[in-house]
Amino acid sequence: MDGLITLWHDTGIYHFEWKQLVMMAVGALLLFLAIVKKFEPLLLLPIGFGAILANIPNAGFTDPGGILYYIYEIGIGSTVFPLLIFMGVGAMTDFGALIANPKMLFLGAAAQFGIFATLFGAIALNLIPGFEFTLQDASAIAIIGGADGPTAIFLASKLAPDLLGAIAVAAYSYMALVPLIQPPIMRALTSEKERAIQMEQLRPVSKAEKILFPLLVLFACILFLPSATPLVGMFCLGNLMRESGVVDRLSGAAQNEIINTVTIFLGLAVGSKLSAEAFLSVETLGILALGAVAFSVGTGSGVMMAKVMSRLSGGKVNPLLGAAGVSAVPMAARVVNKVGLESNPQNFLLMHAMGPNVAGVLGSAVAAGVLLALVG
Amino acid sequence: MDISELLLQAGNLMLVGMVSVFLFLGLLVLVVQSVAKLVPADELPVASNKPTTQAPAAQASNQVNPKLIAAISTAVQQYRNNN
Repeated sequence: MDGLITLWHDTGIYHFEWKQLVMMAVGALLLFLAIVKKFEPLLLLPIGFGAILANIPNAGFTDPGGILYYIYEIGIGSTVFPLLIFMGVGAMTDFGALIANPKMLFLGAAAQFGIFATLFGAIALNLIPGFEFTLQDASAIAIIGGADGPTAIFLASKLAPDLLGAIAVAAYSYMALVPLIQPPIMRALTSEKERAIQMEQLRPVSKAEKILFPLLVLFACILFLPSATPLVGMFCLGNLMRESGVVDRLSGAAQNEIINTVTIFLGLAVGSKLSAEAFLSVETLGILALGAVAFSVGTGSGVMMAKVMSRLSGGKVNPLLGAAGVSAVPMAARVVNKVGLESNPQNFLLMHAMGPNVAGVLGSAVAAGVLLALVG
Repeated sequence: MDISELLLQAGNLMLVGMVSVFLFLGLLVLVVQSVAKLVPADELPVASNKPTTQAPAAQASNQVNPKLIAAISTAVQQYRNNN
């Protein structure tokens, strides 16, 4: 009989607390979004599963000695995983469209206003009782507006590890929602005539320019913003491997095997941070709300900047391109293309939108470096 | 810390952050533009080496049936719409 009672005391049912059940439901919701709704499945599937594992009573996945504990400490606590992902993203990124039209970098810069406006908003939320965001917390939340998963995880792991789970989930969920969030804002801020503007064809870019680009970005970073070099450095390494053309095997590994392997463990590690104590709080709701604000403001400021550039250039820039400045590669560029086609069926903006899109990746990495230097 | 002080810091961060992001990416614009002037384009030597082959090619492209061009562009458009 004693044996049976001991066994009963060891079952999950005996130890369940309602909070753990709620978190498992959250994990199941993420799995549903990934599998049925196809929301960023590469990330949300391992995150959702990680959330379920992390909330199993008595299994100790996230205690010292548990596998999720080690995956988190080795991969995210050390910032290794987001940086490896960034190397892979660098190896997958073609800067050709940006090099052909470098002014698009300004759109990538303008869209980062979403980050800094959200930072202000997060601090303002402290006026509501129940919210106590420090400047570090606010910065980590604000980077959701960078619409870049690895950057958000990198910064959150440095500035606010407790909020990492909610921040990563918000970042990836909103990236999946870009096709829903962006178009209404884009249409509200532009006229039909502006949306129909056709862009000149981009000039061909030489191989030498493509090889020099990552080196020059890194050099500028070394000189002016060393705090951004972990992100920008790994990104440039990946891009140089791609463009140099002499290490195709390494470039291929960075784009495929390495990034895929790391993505599994990155997702699990993020999921391990979805514990009941950390996630079931009013702050999580605040983070989700602020994330939506960040995306919307970033889209809006990008479009407004593109409108200014359109005026200055005498109507040669389609203002829709500004929306691609929030990174979320390549989803945001596709959205720009789609909205552009609605106004002018002959207008293919995809290649033009890739310029501000990859500029947004650089912009959010730079913004992360600035935040790290100022509040880290 | 007092909330108004935090708000002030956040506002300050917003200003400094946006200015530095713009300055940094603005610097990159200048760098990329100057590199584009300094580095010779890939296509140029090819074009100058084979001026004779390019001219007929250009003529040939003018002679392509406009109906064919229209057919190809609608096909491309349909393909892109489906993706």
